[in-house]
Amino acid sequence: MSLYDYDLIVVGAGHAGIEACLVGARLGLKTLMVTTNTDRIGYMSCNPSIGGLAKGHMVREIDVLGGEMGLAADATCIQFKRLNSRKGPAVRGSRVQSDKHKYSAFMKKALQNEKHLAVLQGEVKKVLLNGKTCEGVVLQDGSEIRSKAVVLTTGTFLNGVMHVGMTQTPGGRIGDQASHGLSDQLLEAGFEVKRLKTGTPARLHKDSIDWSKTIPQFGDDRFYPFSFKSPHAYQLDQIACYLSRTTEKTHEIIRNNLHLSPMYCGIIEGVGPRYCPSIEDKVVRFADRDSHQTFLEPEGLDSDLIYLQGISTSLPLEVQDQFLRTIPGLENVQVVRYGYAVEYDYFEPTQIWHRLETRPIQRLFLAGQINGTSGYEEAAAQGFVAGINAAHAILNRPEFVLNRDQAYIGVLIDDLVTKGTREPYRMFTSRAEHRLVLREDNTIDRLADLSIKIGLHGAEAVDLLNDLRQRRQDLHEKLQNTKIYPNAETQEKLLSLKTSPLLKSVSYEELLRRAEVDSQSLASLGFDIDLDPNVCEPVEIQVKYAGYIKKQNELIEQTRRLEGLILPDHISYSDIKGLSTEETEKLSRIRPRTLGQAQRISGVNPSAIQAIMIYLKSRRLAGEELPLGKQSK
Amino acid sequence: MLQRDKDTICAVSTPQGHGGISVIRVSGPRALDVSRALCRFLPKNPESHKAYFGTLTTKDQQVEIDEVLALPFLGSKSFTGEEVVEISCHGNPILVQWILKELVTSGARLAERGEFTYRAFMNGKLDLVQAESVLSMIESQTQQSAQQSLRQLKGGLSEVVENIENELTWCLAHLEASIDFSQEGIEIVSSDELKLRLSKIKTSVDDLMKSYTAGRILREGLQIALAGVPNVGKSSLLNSLMGEEKAIVTDVPGTTRDLVEGAFILGGVRVLLSDTAGLREAQDKVEKIGIQKSLLRQKEADYILFAFDVSREFSEEEAKILEAYPTDKVFLIGNKLDLIGGDTQKATQILKKSPSLSNFFSRIANPEQFFKERVFFVSTFDKKSVDSLRNALSKHVEMSQIEDQTLIMQTRHFENLVKVEALIRAARELVSQDSSAEFIALELKQALILIQEILGKRFDDQIMDRVFKEFCIGK
Ligand SMILES: Cc1cc2nc3c(=O)[nH]c(=O)nc-3n(C[C@H](O)[C@H](O)[C@H](O)COP(=O)(O)OP(=O)(O)OC[C@H]3O[C@@H](n4cnc5c(N)ncnc54)[C@H](O)[C@@H]3O)c2cc1C
Ligand SMILES: Nc1nc2c(ncn2[C@@H]2O[C@H](COP(=O)(O)OP(=O)(O)O)[C@@H](O)[C@H]2O)c(=O)[nH]1
Repeated sequence: MSLYDYDLIVVGAGHAGIEACLVGARLGLKTLMVTTNTDRIGYMSCNPSIGGLAKGHMVREIDVLGGEMGLAADATCIQFKRLNSRKGPAVRGSRVQSDKHKYSAFMKKALQNEKHLAVLQGEVKKVLLNGKTCEGVVLQDGSEIRSKAVVLTTGTFLNGVMHVGMTQTPGGRIGDQASHGLSDQLLEAGFEVKRLKTGTPARLHKDSIDWSKTIPQFGDDRFYPFSFKSPHAYQLDQIACYLSRTTEKTHEIIRNNLHLSPMYCGIIEGVGPRYCPSIEDKVVRFADRDSHQTFLEPEGLDSDLIYLQGISTSLPLEVQDQFLRTIPGLENVQVVRYGYAVEYDYFEPTQIWHRLETRPIQRLFLAGQINGTSGYEEAAAQGFVAGINAAHAILNRPEFVLNRDQAYIGVLIDDLVTKGTREPYRMFTSRAEHRLVLREDNTIDRLADLSIKIGLHGAEAVDLLNDLRQRRQDLHEKLQNTKIYPNAETQEKLLSLKTSPLLKSVSYEELLRRAEVDSQSLASLGFDIDLDPNVCEPVEIQVKYAGYIKKQNELIEQTRRLEGLILPDHISYSDIKGLSTEETEKLSRIRPRTLGQAQRISGVNPSAIQAIMIYLKSRRLAGEELPLGKQSK
Repeated sequence: MLQRDKDTICAVSTPQGHGGISVIRVSGPRALDVSRALCRFLPKNPESHKAYFGTLTTKDQQVEIDEVLALPFLGSKSFTGEEVVEISCHGNPILVQWILKELVTSGARLAERGEFTYRAFMNGKLDLVQAESVLSMIESQTQQSAQQSLRQLKGGLSEVVENIENELTWCLAHLEASIDFSQEGIEIVSSDELKLRLSKIKTSVDDLMKSYTAGRILREGLQIALAGVPNVGKSSLLNSLMGEEKAIVTDVPGTTRDLVEGAFILGGVRVLLSDTAGLREAQDKVEKIGIQKSLLRQKEADYILFAFDVSREFSEEEAKILEAYPTDKVFLIGNKLDLIGGDTQKATQILKKSPSLSNFFSRIANPEQFFKERVFFVSTFDKKSVDSLRNALSKHVEMSQIEDQTLIMQTRHFENLVKVEALIRAARELVSQDSSAEFIALELKQALILIQEILGKRFDDQIMDRVFKEFCIGK
């Protein structure tokens, strides 16, 4: 009988927990998921949607790497939109509105299908520690379960308190108990624990809404599924959302009741999200706006509940009733579940390595909202990375770290562990300095090799990845090598495409660079083109934006040298001459893994980077063995 | 910085000041190419460690700057371990700055402090003992460099640069917001507003470039205007100062009609000396145009050489003209000294007692000093007297430039500003073409980094912070 009950234990069944335990089980590890409520697996605590700008990028990345989120969103999609479709290719983002219950059901089934995975309902009170190593968990009944590694993905539950007006109730979210014990234990073990808060809007009964006063919003005709494995057709009926707006009256009611909002009278200590501010926040901070838009989003095909996007609030119930009724369409609204805020513990993320393992305690990994992020996609991305790294630690494989020029997931984690966060962290395209090469369309090109190496995909999916890459490459080469000649027929066709005639023969690639020409036009010119959107779109983008992509790559090249310089784990910053006290303190605490990361720590000056580099060089010159850590990919 | 280790760099490697010879070192993969752009006399495949002698010109080959020795070190057989060319030129700081500026134009970059040693060190050219001694030097210097660059920006200028930084950050914040919050149903910034802001930034950058005197003088040269009533010998002076015939000399008053100018090197600086049409009531049209032009020139001029005839009384008319110039720009040149027998003493006495000049002298704080430094007596027929005038002027030019210790920093800043200007122009063009925001942002981000380099700051999360301070964001 093994000393361990399981290889890997994942605590939590949210978006982070699901990805983490699926990775473990799929890599052949005996995996256990422990969660307080098995009825709420992959539950959408807030908005019923997946993706969006920058978030959609991460869903595609998770998908190519072998995660589940994209498949679940595609299968349960009831409205799809490609956001920013008229902007450049790097800032387009896919967003799916999901049937919330079908989404949960899909995830539950995915877990059930894994033969190495068990799911247990229970509350984890403590982790088992052997010195500085984590060896399992302790449940509320005192029973111990031993494992080689533990991933904590407890979301908003640790010491969670829900606020509605002046009323406070312990809880992780509506319908779920808060979780006590874990963060107290870890606080004692030396972790820095802080408070954050986030809120959610009311859910309304659909029959109580006067839809005629709202404007319907339909999804796109064309579906670009998140997963390269999903079919290109919608799998469920598609629905509309409805647009309405707050009024001056709404704002007046809110302003008059600010003293009853827990965050405005100082009851909530935790910092709220700037990115999904409550309506109280919006009214105060943007006092000059007389109206804010809101989308009324059905929570599912069979659901009676409508999610009121953009209007999260923690005002007292009667105030919520009052102000909601001033929004056109909601004059007689019936609220099924009121908006509330939740305040919870998170762990300052500068305490974890890029592999998401904690620094103080080995074999303990943290992922999701517990690291100070907000959002399902951010959580899933971390869950996935924590899962792989926990598994790799157990299997004695190298750590898995994505670079900032490889993936949004790399940006997310690097930001967290380098800068920490004092408010809920949400992903944006503007956080990615190499954004022009981190596009949705080239996710496969960026990550397929890595993914195949990790080995989560079955043979069929691997073939599909290889096939897509091959076809993209073939098409690109064909465009470069095939010429179009100026004869009467082509000139006429070019004119009908509203582009100027040819002066001499050019390659089709050249022609495709013209603004008026796209893949479809090439087909009409007689070029035999692979019109699979997964093939022609990325190639077209690569051709059309080659100039910018080149520029971006040059900038990346400039940063590579620093990124390539790995800092040894044991480096002693106080020995380095030329660092200020503040720099020494920060570097010692954050322990950057590369010189590039060191440079991103705020308050560490360029001169410090040079000093470190010189220090390293001189040590090596002095014959000291410096393990210039291999960068694993 | 470190990612720029592959650049070709240049700097003076001899101490600043008035040594006889200055050595400028160019190091990096393109050292030879860059040097050859100015030293055309260098053969395509020069021998290593062999000195070549010739004339160094501007990159466009329009102006000869100095006679120099160029000494290539090829392969890794150099101090830094990379391709190096050492250029020995005359030891004048202004000349040296000018050559550096031309090297930068040809593709080199000014070296950071200690960068040559740093490269030598990185390329294993120093042993440990040597390395450690230079290391402690670099360490103490790098530590200060950020504050230093800020300090070296003169008060008002750093404010202007910070303004540019703020404006750029504003534009970037709004561009980013227009991408990331496009779903909020509000227009975040119009392309007209963006264009307007970018144009404003461009104007500030342009002004800034102009305001660097060193930058301007290195770029455009020093402007000196010859002034004075007709027939006092301005054309003759111009010719003898330049050493070649440029203006027509006649005995008929008013024959120097067109503005005549010539460039020559004075105190290491390229000087544009312009003769002016005789300043008196003009009779014909051609002359009028000439006079107007010359008045304009005199306004722009850095120095005004006011010539008069020592054999005649300093007239009221001349005094009136003189009144129009700021005294700190004026030099009085008494010409035709031969006509009073070369007696400088006498000429000085006459001048001091001249009733029409009393008003002018009363405007000068220290007339004694003025007479010592700003009054010269020459005869254009006497080469020696013209030579000593040229030397005196040359000293003056040098002195006024050397006071400006921040010259190198400024050239470095100038280098960045030139790039910023191009990036802003590109960004504005993209806005006009209605390009997607992320492409415009790419240009502006580069510009911001360059501006922050001038300020000695790092690129931080400022943009994100601004985005969230200013916008309403939902999910
Ligand atoms: C009120 C509210 C408002 C929100 N508003 C927004 C928003 O505006 N924007 C946004 O992007 N995101 C919002 N979210 C956040 C979003 O739901 C989370 O970011 C995301 O779900 C986090 O995923 P996770 O996997 O980290 O944790 P969760 O999805 O919270 O999952 C945590 C899991 O851990 C389990 N668990 C917790 N403690 C224990 C324990 N001790 N033992 C066993 N199991 C345990 C729970 O049962 C649950 O399954 C909101 C969430 C809530 C509750
Ligand atoms: N005696 C004498 N004559 C001079 C001198 N310099 C110029 N001249 C003469 O003065 C006249 C006017 O000279 P010019 O240069 O045309 O004067 P401008 O009208 O001021 O440009 C010419 O005849 C010159 O030969 C000088 O130093 N001594």
